[in-house]
Amino acid sequence: MNSKSKTGFIQILRSFGRKFSDLQGLLIAILVLGTVLSILSDNFLTGNNIVNILYQATIVAVVALGQTFVILVGGIDLSVGSLIALSSVLSVGLTVNNGLPPWLGITITLILGIIFGLAHGLAVTKLRMPSLIVTLASLSLASGLAYVYSEGQNIIPVPEVFETIGNAQFFGGQIPVFIPFALVLIIISYITLTKTRFGRQIYAVGGNQMASRLAGIPSNRVIVIAFVISGLSAAVGGLMMTARLQSGSPIIGSGMELTVIAAVVIGGTSLFGGQGNVIGTVLGVLLLTMASNAIVLLSIPPNYDKVFTGLVIAIAAALDIYRQGKNTTNMSRLKRSSSGKEVAKNSNPKTEQNNSNVS
Amino acid sequence: MSLLKANNIHKRFQGVVALEGVNFELKSGEVHALLGANGAGKSTLIKIVSGYHAADEGEILVNEVKIPFNDPKASHKAGIATIHQEHNLIPHMSVVDNVMLGQWIGRYGVVSEEECRKKALNAINRVVPGLDLDLYGHQLTPAEGQLVEIARALSEEAKILIMDEPTTSLSPREIERLFNVMRDLKSQGIGIIFVSHWLEEIFEICDCVTVFRDGRYVGSEDIKNLDENTIIRMMVNTDVPELSPQKRNPGKEILKVRNLCKDGVLQNISFDLHEGEILTIGGLVGAGRTELARCIFGVDDYDSGEVLIDNIPIPKNSPRAAVKVGIGFVPEDRKGQGLARNLTVRENFTLSLLDKVTHLGFISKTSELDISNEQSAALKVKAPSMEANIMTLSGGNAQKVVIGRWLARKPRVLILDEPTKGVDVGAKAEIHRLIGEFAESGMAVLLITSEMPEVLLLSDRVLVMREGRISGKLNRSEVSPESVISFATAEEVVY
Ligand SMILES: Nc1ncnc2c1ncn2[C@@H]1O[C@H](COP(=O)(O)OP(=O)(O)OP(=O)(O)O)[C@@H](O)[C@H]1O
Ligand SMILES: [Mg+2]
Repeated sequence: MNSKSKTGFIQILRSFGRKFSDLQGLLIAILVLGTVLSILSDNFLTGNNIVNILYQATIVAVVALGQTFVILVGGIDLSVGSLIALSSVLSVGLTVNNGLPPWLGITITLILGIIFGLAHGLAVTKLRMPSLIVTLASLSLASGLAYVYSEGQNIIPVPEVFETIGNAQFFGGQIPVFIPFALVLIIISYITLTKTRFGRQIYAVGGNQMASRLAGIPSNRVIVIAFVISGLSAAVGGLMMTARLQSGSPIIGSGMELTVIAAVVIGGTSLFGGQGNVIGTVLGVLLLTMASNAIVLLSIPPNYDKVFTGLVIAIAAALDIYRQGKNTTNMSRLKRSSSGKEVAKNSNPKTEQNNSNVS
Repeated sequence: MSLLKANNIHKRFQGVVALEGVNFELKSGEVHALLGANGAGKSTLIKIVSGYHAADEGEILVNEVKIPFNDPKASHKAGIATIHQEHNLIPHMSVVDNVMLGQWIGRYGVVSEEECRKKALNAINRVVPGLDLDLYGHQLTPAEGQLVEIARALSEEAKILIMDEPTTSLSPREIERLFNVMRDLKSQGIGIIFVSHWLEEIFEICDCVTVFRDGRYVGSEDIKNLDENTIIRMMVNTDVPELSPQKRNPGKEILKVRNLCKDGVLQNISFDLHEGEILTIGGLVGAGRTELARCIFGVDDYDSGEVLIDNIPIPKNSPRAAVKVGIGFVPEDRKGQGLARNLTVRENFTLSLLDKVTHLGFISKTSELDISNEQSAALKVKAPSMEANIMTLSGGNAQKVVIGRWLARKPRVLILDEPTKGVDVGAKAEIHRLIGEFAESGMAVLLITSEMPEVLLLSDRVLVMREGRISGKLNRSEVSPESVISFATAEEVVY
C-alpha cells in the first residue's frame, strides 16, 4: 500500500518533470528577463510591482486558457480581442442603456461568448471552413458590433457590481480578487486537460483527427466544445477588463488576440495541435506581461514598445526551438536505444533496436 | 451463424467506381481472408464496415441487425474493432494512450491512469512484450506502431476483428505471435477478417477466402478447396509470369561504405556495391537495415565512417548531395515519407525528377504527363487519373508511384527499402522484373527485403544484418533460406 502510493507520487513527479523539461527554454527566458529587470530597475522586485504584474497577467491568462484548448485541437481563434470589446460594451450597456438588471446583462454577455464559440465550432466542423477564416470574420464582426452598439463611445458609469469586483481585494487589501480567480481557472483547465477523458480527447483529436474519429471519439463535438470554451473565456476576459477599467469600451482588447496567441505558442503549444499544456501558456503570459512591465519600468518610449515585445517573442521562440532541437536529437534517441536494450534483455533479442527517428 | 454480413455494397468516389455490388459474410470463429489486387476495393469495404465511409447502396448487418453508415462509434458499439491499412497513431501521445484511444477507463469523466496502464500493458504483452509504455507515438518504428494498433483493437474485446494488411511491416517472429493471438481469439468464437498480399500467410491462418476484382465480388471459397494458382487467377484473371533468377556480370565498384557507425544502431558497417549488381540486405525487421539506408542517402546522421561514390566521399546528412551523385532511395514508410500529401498523382511521380521536367525554369506538364503515364503503365498503377489526389489511391497503388518515380530517374545507385511491401502479386512480379532489368542495364541496386523469395530471385550477393552489425556475407551460390535465417537470428530457426 505504502510503496504503491510512493510509486504513484514518483510517477506524478516524473510526469511533472517531463512537462517542465519542455518548458525549460521559457523558464530561462523569464529568469533572464527578470534578472535584467531587477538589475536595471529598483522597482521591479517590489511586492507592489509583482502583484501588479500578476494582476495584469490575469486577463490575458484567462483568455489564453481558452485559446489553448482551440490550438490544442488544431484550430485558432482570432476573434477573442474583438469579443472582449463586445462583451465590455454589452455588459455595461445592457444595464446603462437598456435598463436590464446587471446580472442579466452579464449573463447575456456570457451567452453571447458561447454563441460565438458555438458558431465557430460548427462552421469549422460542419461547413469544413478553416478556423483562421471563420474567426477572422468574427474578429471584424464582433468589433463592428461593439462600435455600432456603443456608437463608438465609452459607456460609463459602470454598474456597481463592476466597481465592487474591480476593487475587491484579498489578504488585507494586498491581492486583487482577479489573481485567485485566474488561479482557479488555471487549475481547472490543467485538471481538465491532464486528468479527464475530455482532455485526452482534445489531445487525440488535435494529434490525429481521423484516427480519433475512427476510434469512436466524437471529434466534431470535441472541436466545437474547444471553440465554445474560447468564446466563453473571451467574454469573461471582457468582463474582467471592464471591471478593471471601470468603463464599457469598444476599443479595449483590440489586437489582444495576437498577445494571447503568442503567449500560447511560446508556451510550447504546437500550432499543429495535439501538443502543449496550460502551464506553458501561463508562463508565456507571464513572460509577455513582464515584457510590457519592462516598458513601463525602463521608461522605453511608447513608440518602441512593440519593437521590444516583438524581440521578446522572437527570443523566447528561438530558445524554445533550440531546446526542442536538442531534445529530439539527443534525448529521444537516448531514450529509444535504452528502451531497445531493455527489450533485448527481457525476452526477444530480435525486436527493435532500430532507431528510426521520425520527424 | 453469420456474424457480419455485407449485402450488395456499392461505392463510388467522384464518379470512380470502387465497389460494385460486393457481398461478404463472416461467421463467428473463423479467420476470413479478403483478397484482391491493389485497388480491388478491400480497404473501401472495410472502411464502410467500420463507419468511415457511407456506402451508396447496400447494407451491413451485424448479428442480423443493420448498422448505420458513416458512424465509427456505432460500429465500435456493434462490436467491430478495426486495424486500418493507414496508420492511425497519435504522434504526441504515449503508447498507453494510443492503445486506450477513445476507450480510456475512468469514473465521472476522470481517467484512471493506473487502470488504463494495466489494460494497455495487458494488450501490449500479447503482441509486443517489453515495449516501453511511455514512448510517444512518433518515436515508434513502423513495426512497433502497427503492433500498438493491433493491441488497441485487441483491448476492445470486440466480437469482430478486422485487420487490413497488419503484417506488412512485421518480422516473422512478430507475425507468428500475432497468428497465435488470432488462433486464440478464433477459439473464443471471434470472427476475424484478414487482408494480406502474402499468400503463405493466407494458407497458414485463414479458414476461407473471399476475392474481389476491380470492385466486384468474384467468389468465396473454403481454403481447403484452393491452391495458390487458383487464388491468383481469381484475383487478377490471368497467370502471373514466373520469373527465374538471372545471371548478371557486375562491373566496377561504384558505392563504398566504410566503417559506418551510429551509436546504438549501426556498428562498423563496411561493404562495396558494384555496377550492374543487386546486393540484398537480409535480416529481420529492426536489424538496422532501414537506418543504414537512411544514413547512406543522408536522411539521418551517423557518428563516424564514410560513404563513397567513385571513391569520392559524399557529405553526410544531405539527401540533395546524394541525389546529385546519382543515388535514389525508395523509403520503407511510403505513405509517411515517400508521398507529398495533397499533390496529384502526376506531381508525385515527378517529385524527384523536377530538374528533368523543367524547361527554362518552368515545369513542363507535358513531359510530366509523359513520364507519369509511362511509369503508371509499367507498374499497372490503378488511379482514376493522373490529376487525382495521391491520397485517394489504394495503399498498394500509392507505393507503386514512389517506386516509379525513382525508376524513371534512373539513378546510378538505387536503394529500395522493402519495395514490394503491400503490393499485389501481379505488380510484385512486375517490380521484380523492372529491378532485374535495371541492374542489367548497368545500374547498382541495394535492396532491403525481408521476403525470402525476393532474396532468392534477385540477389547477386547478400549481406545479412543482425542488431546493427553485418553478421554474414553470402555469394550467390551460398544463398539459401537456411543460410540467411541463421545469420539473421544467430540461432538455427526451423521453418
Ligand atoms: N477517398 C477516395 N477518393 C477517390 N477514390 C478512392 C478513395 N478511396 C479509394 N479510392 C479508389 O477506390 C479503389 C479501391 O481502393 P481500395 O483502397 O479499397 O483498394 P484495396 O483493395 O484496399 O487496395 P490495396 O491492396 O492497394 O490496399 C481504388 O481505385 C482507389 O483509387
Ligand atoms: Mg487497401
